Amino acid sequence: MTSRLPATMTHVRKALVGLALCAAFAVHPVLAEEIVFKDQTGRELRLAKPAERVVSIVIPMASTLIALDGGTSKLVGMNPTAKSAITQGILGKIFPQARDIASDVTSPSFVPNVEALAAVNPDLVVQWGSEGEDKVAPLVNAGLNTMLILYGTEELTRDYMTMAAKAIGRPERIGQLVDWRDSVQKEIAAKVAAIPEDKKPRVLYLGRALTDLRASGTKGNYTEWSVELAGGRNAAAELAGTVSINKEQIATWNPDVILLNAFEADLDPNWVYNDPIVSLTNAARNHKVYKLPLGGYRWDPPSQESPLSWMWMANLLHPEIFHYDLRAQMKQAYKTLYNYDLADADIDGILWVAKQGDATDYQQFKTR
Amino acid sequence: MSSVSEGLAVSRRSREWTRTTLVFAALLALFFVSLLVSICAGRFGVPVGRALALVWQGATDPSRPLTAMDERIVLLVRAPRVLLAAMAGAGLAVCGAALQGVFRNPLVSPDILGISQGAAFGGALAIMLGIWGLPLIAMVFLTGMAALVAVGFLARVDGRTETVTVILSGLVVSSMFAAVVSLLQFVADPESSLPAIVYWLMGSFASATWERTLIAAPGLLIGAALLWSLRFRLNILSLEEAEAKSLGAKTERERWLVFGLVAVIVGSQVAVSGIVGWIGIVIPHAARLLVGHDHRVMLPASIVLGATFTIIIDTLARTATAAEIPLGVITALVGAPIFAVLLRRHYRERSSR
Repeated sequence: MTSRLPATMTHVRKALVGLALCAAFAVHPVLAEEIVFKDQTGRELRLAKPAERVVSIVIPMASTLIALDGGTSKLVGMNPTAKSAITQGILGKIFPQARDIASDVTSPSFVPNVEALAAVNPDLVVQWGSEGEDKVAPLVNAGLNTMLILYGTEELTRDYMTMAAKAIGRPERIGQLVDWRDSVQKEIAAKVAAIPEDKKPRVLYLGRALTDLRASGTKGNYTEWSVELAGGRNAAAELAGTVSINKEQIATWNPDVILLNAFEADLDPNWVYNDPIVSLTNAARNHKVYKLPLGGYRWDPPSQESPLSWMWMANLLHPEIFHYDLRAQMKQAYKTLYNYDLADADIDGILWVAKQGDATDYQQFKTR
Repeated sequence: MSSVSEGLAVSRRSREWTRTTLVFAALLALFFVSLLVSICAGRFGVPVGRALALVWQGATDPSRPLTAMDERIVLLVRAPRVLLAAMAGAGLAVCGAALQGVFRNPLVSPDILGISQGAAFGGALAIMLGIWGLPLIAMVFLTGMAALVAVGFLARVDGRTETVTVILSGLVVSSMFAAVVSLLQFVADPESSLPAIVYWLMGSFASATWERTLIAAPGLLIGAALLWSLRFRLNILSLEEAEAKSLGAKTERERWLVFGLVAVIVGSQVAVSGIVGWIGIVIPHAARLLVGHDHRVMLPASIVLGATFTIIIDTLARTATAAEIPLGVITALVGAPIFAVLLRRHYRERSSR
């Protein structure tokens, strides 16, 4: 590793000299392309030209970048956890070349490996702004263009997606995606506004279930926010942040619907039906236990596919009001996002039809 | 004259016995009260009468199918959890008491031999590899024992082991395993295995089921019983080395017997409930204060007190808020001040002697 560094550095230096020469002799339009923006922690970034070699240390941003660019050519490094999600999920099938993208540039817990980063020679690195200065300083000190983003709300998500689109020189892609998010969100919110509070099911989203049981309050938590958008009430609203709970607490809340996370691969609705306590909740008795789908990314956190996640939730929480043709919507979205024609079998896999096709109201998502 | 002083000695001894009996009666009463309160308390409202009736039914007719929520809460969630907490607390306390005796050092706790960290390594590795259930417990137990064996080899110089080398070797092995655990956390998937490892390392009885309780029970109960059977030996081992040897004790072999039993207890406990701190260090001190240094009474007092303390702490952890409060937080918050007070009293008594 160390022996490779000097070579890489000379390489970088040569490239920089080359770049400087180009800039000196270039005609004005090239200079006019300079991209200047502030990231979500207020730091100013200047890119001489749209980034062409981007590394995402942030996990969901990898698939978002692929969607924004419509391909994998600009993504040169990502988090190992993002890579495993891509290679195991549908994105690996759509973009087989994603399997060759470096994932040694960071530890899964966002600690950058500066030498591995230098080796892929990125012109933009995306990192969390909330993980502490120690995970940012090595990037900045190595002279890498670092864009810091924040997690939690739909506004932040749209903002950083827009920022990323601008940075990679695809501003024309983002307008469409933000409009889509906006229109679906407003459409759902308008219909939900007419639903009286007592007609909204109480929904418990379990962010972890297999070892630790975890649930979250609504503030600052995206999935819980999505539940409320789709006309549910967060059964765990009394919690502050994401915390461990016990089964007795679940029994006390007695949720009408239980949503299981897409992070734990071994978790499926049978976990609920086989548990002596959780199987006695309203949700289990009425067979309203659903695992969140895993598409281009997991549908629990914010991603380019969030509107699909809202439609899925709205259709399940209020089947009498929402009638999204999710399969058609997914086909359309995947065409736009990844230029890919989803097969019916792909959709069944993403929606876990084999695991939860028999759940209440899940019939609507099956092929007709 | 001599018969008078003999009479005085007898009456003093009998007074001491009455005092000890009273202390034990109080401790046992406190234990049973905390047991009952703990069974009746929880986030899910079950009336006290109903909860006690359910326990009675569960004890008299254990094969009856449980269909209602309150039945399952009391008999499948609370009962195994309370029993596991009690056994784990008793086990940790008696381990601490025995080790403090063997090392003649009041600051020793079961963590000192590296067993907890070794066991933690096994658990973290199992979680990383996606191993759950019985195999995880087996792995935890084996790595806990492996840590002890490593300490044994390290501490053995020229065919014999000194107490101080055991403590230092324990420290070395403990830090080694702690470092490997950190390494595992570093490479663990932050969205799946990392939170699981962190949660498990923090220590909790939240995942207690009858299955887990029954898996841990033999190690905890047999280990504690065997340590108690060594109470006379512990009295001798807690003397100066030369003095103990002159009384015919095979100090080294007996010491390792104690360490082995401690590994069995701590391994069983960590396997099902993660690392639980403070109990092994605070409870023996409290027991010593109540009944004195004689291991014949100090060990049982530690057992009862450890069980009671852990039940109370765990009840707080699961009932105080909608969220589970990490056990380690409460044991440290409650344990550290108690320990400070005990230490001060201990040294004041010693200096006034």
